[in-house]
Amino acid sequence: METRYILKKDHLAPWLRRVAKSHRVVAPVKNRHGDTLYAEIDGLDKVELDLAGQPQASAKSFFLPQQEVLFTYRTGKGGYEFHEPATPAPATVYFGLRSCDLSAILYTDVVFMGRHKDPGYRRRREGAILISIACHQPHPNCFCHATKSGPFLEFGYDLQFTDLGTRFLVEAGRSRGETLISQWRPFFSEAAEEDVKLQYQLALEANGLFRRNVDVGCAVRKLAEGEVAEGIWRELADRCQDCGGCAYLCPTCTCFTIRDEKLGPEHGERLRCWDACTLEGFSRMAGGHNPVAREQHALKRRFQHKLRDDVHKHGRPSCVGCGRCVGICFGGVDIVGFIDRLSEEDLP
Amino acid sequence: MSDCGCRKGNEQAENDKNGGNSYLPWPARIEAISEENSQIKTFVLAFSGDKRQQDYRYLPGQFLMVSVPHCGEAPISISSTPTRPGSVHLSVRRAGLLTNAMHGLAVGDTVGLRGPYGRPFPLETFRGKDLLFVAGGIGLAPLRSVINHALDSEHDGRIEILYGSRSPEDIAFKADIATWEATPKVSCRLTVDVASPGWEGEVGVVTRLLPQVDLDPKTSVALVCGPPLMIRFVMAELSRMGYSDERIITTMERHMKCGLGACGHCHMDDRLVCVDGPVFSLAELRGRDVVELRDKP
Repeated sequence: METRYILKKDHLAPWLRRVAKSHRVVAPVKNRHGDTLYAEIDGLDKVELDLAGQPQASAKSFFLPQQEVLFTYRTGKGGYEFHEPATPAPATVYFGLRSCDLSAILYTDVVFMGRHKDPGYRRRREGAILISIACHQPHPNCFCHATKSGPFLEFGYDLQFTDLGTRFLVEAGRSRGETLISQWRPFFSEAAEEDVKLQYQLALEANGLFRRNVDVGCAVRKLAEGEVAEGIWRELADRCQDCGGCAYLCPTCTCFTIRDEKLGPEHGERLRCWDACTLEGFSRMAGGHNPVAREQHALKRRFQHKLRDDVHKHGRPSCVGCGRCVGICFGGVDIVGFIDRLSEEDLP
Repeated sequence: MSDCGCRKGNEQAENDKNGGNSYLPWPARIEAISEENSQIKTFVLAFSGDKRQQDYRYLPGQFLMVSVPHCGEAPISISSTPTRPGSVHLSVRRAGLLTNAMHGLAVGDTVGLRGPYGRPFPLETFRGKDLLFVAGGIGLAPLRSVINHALDSEHDGRIEILYGSRSPEDIAFKADIATWEATPKVSCRLTVDVASPGWEGEVGVVTRLLPQVDLDPKTSVALVCGPPLMIRFVMAELSRMGYSDERIITTMERHMKCGLGACGHCHMDDRLVCVDGPVFSLAELRGRDVVELRDKP
């Protein structure tokens, strides 16, 4: 059994301050507008950590930036040269990741560090230490219990924190996490049996606190068996407003586009930017032909990808149940709306 | 690798292996350009660096990501055969921003190349079989690679080529066609949608040529490439003629941004055309939502 530790809440800031001396630290921070977002912390005393609320965006942009320079180029007089920018990725501790957001990183690892080794993603990911905070107060739109990506994690983290009131229970999942403890061992004590029992109790209770009952299994089965009526896809297409918001906000949506930004007659940069498969032009080819019809590009392929193709390829859906798309979709055709629609058909 | 990340020597192959920047193109010089018709030009390209060119390996059916200054990248299938080393050919039809800009380039200009990418034609399964090629327009480009590969490697079966163009003026790869027509075990039939004065050949869509094919579907393989609608009609007709789904092979054109299986643009049901294709047998396409098979495209 892995060793479990106790970190008193009073010790959190002093420990993080020491960690911050050798690492960049990213954590959920409540800003002056009241928004909670993962942000790089520049001085722990200057920010308000928010370990209870759900950050409004996932940590995706730290690994797959919304826009990134792949390389710069020079052209002219028959020449055409490409130069890779020097973009070091500092060793970063991600502290206070929600379970769903950490699970999403494990999925994006498959996309960018599997068959294709993405240089930028890999650089940022290899220098990352992931510390999650277990959720014993699920947020209103959460359903990670249904996607098996929370509220408490069993693997994938370097460290997992559980809030036990006056103290945190800390579990080390990987050696990199263990190192962060052993380096500053005096802050930590070994967990007692009742700490572990309390965590178990909180995990059980958390599973009963979800306000949404999303039947992900039903949707996975119906998609696998091709049982989704065409009318449903048409309705989704009708109500989707092509804003791309769901995909940009989704922690596991990784589609991107690549384009050149001309900076002068003889030089420019090649940029990679987020893209969304729900957008009209996503599969349109030069000349105008689009092999994907509106009924398919608007949400069908997105939901099929997450709930059917990824189940087929990786054994589990790539929706992590964070519920953020529920809040952003004004057409009401987010993934929860879709899954609910499928499971309602089964009701008597 | 040097600190600034500039490409030198044969670094790309090494980078690709070592997980370096797979998005960095390699400069390639335009050695020659031949105008196939008013819309299609074939660019003969050689990599900067003799060693790079010497070590360069690809197979018929694979494609390259081509960079043109300020225009980004586009996937273009290779129309030359690796049996003729020293250069790589890309036959490019004017379609969008990048291809139009490429048509404006001259001998001596440089483009950027990444690749080769994608699953090639299953050449090893062609041994001892007759080959039927059915192409429309620019669709002959990837098939030209296979045809010339088969001829150079003394393919031990017969070769029949059916090629449809919009008009006699639109017939591309005329020099290749002349060579093929003069090769004993090759038969080459052309058709045009609309004849012009002086055209004495066939008129009509390329499926009209299929009844003239004198090959046994049980011992031959059909390779099809062209516009989606043409692919659909030709594959249906080949099935009727008795070609099994495994013996009907096509190569698909899709919007692509990375060629590496990551950007998602070439998503075709549960497949990514850039890594799972672009070459697919009809057996692999059946049951999938593919425009080339759809009744109402």
